[in-house]
Amino acid sequence: MGYLEGGWEFVYAAYALSAVAFVGYGISVFLRFRAERARARREAPGAPEVSS
Amino acid sequence: MAEPLPRRGPGPALAFVVLGTLLLLAGSILGLAVAPPENFMGDVQRIMYVHVPTAWNAMLAFTFAFGCALLFLFQGGWKWDCRLEAAVEVGVFLAVLLCAQGAIWAKPTWGVWWDWDPRLTTTAVMVFLFTGILALRHFVDDPLKRATWSAVATIIAFVDVPIVYFSVRWWNSLHQLQSSPSTVSSVFHLPLRLNAFGVLFLMIGFITLRTRTAGLRLQGELAPPLPEPAAAPGLVPTRAGA
Repeated sequence: MGYLEGGWEFVYAAYALSAVAFVGYGISVFLRFRAERARARREAPGAPEVSS
Repeated sequence: MAEPLPRRGPGPALAFVVLGTLLLLAGSILGLAVAPPENFMGDVQRIMYVHVPTAWNAMLAFTFAFGCALLFLFQGGWKWDCRLEAAVEVGVFLAVLLCAQGAIWAKPTWGVWWDWDPRLTTTAVMVFLFTGILALRHFVDDPLKRATWSAVATIIAFVDVPIVYFSVRWWNSLHQLQSSPSTVSSVFHLPLRLNAFGVLFLMIGFITLRTRTAGLRLQGELAPPLPEPAAAPGLVPTRAGA
């Protein structure tokens, strides 16, 4: 059995990729929600929302 | 089905996202700076603190989607279709991220970025199946057909989720056995648990907000068409003028 030396660049890459992915996807979800809410308000102001 | 709800902001979802982010930051700091290196893989093993929570929560998202599919088919209600759409999308996002993290971990430990090993292959199949459901939803315009077909497809695709989980036990795999508090040394528990709850809360926040987006879009699709604007009396066609 050996011991794996170093490898910090892979560790940083995995954490950086995860951070970018979570932030990017989070922004995408929020922007799509905001756009859809604006569209709904424009098309039917005061209409009830579908239960979700 | 279209019961009136008060117009709420994204507050509850954002609260989950903030809580998840804080937990994920704390767990990652502990995992990177405090937890000791593993006996064989050394520091590379620190990838586990983001890879394993992502895997757990991807499978949890698909399990939730499976539950929504069953409830839509047997109980009805558009809310289950909206939740299914949100859970499948968030599950696919987590599963793709999981594959990327896994590839980064595989290169220094296995010597390759990818291998057609049972765990990796079944995970790739899972990603493609659920991505197919998102594509199906994109191309079907009728809301009822879209909801029914995607619920059935989700039930079929979910068959692969337990196969992914047990693949490392059923077949000879390069991938290590499932990570859990019983298979991971106690010094690694805290960062792993913090990150697991961090990703869980992020996932709940994303699913909540994405569900509301799906609900708003569905509301527009199900709404009756707007009445035609009233024409000026002189412009109304009459038989006499025809």
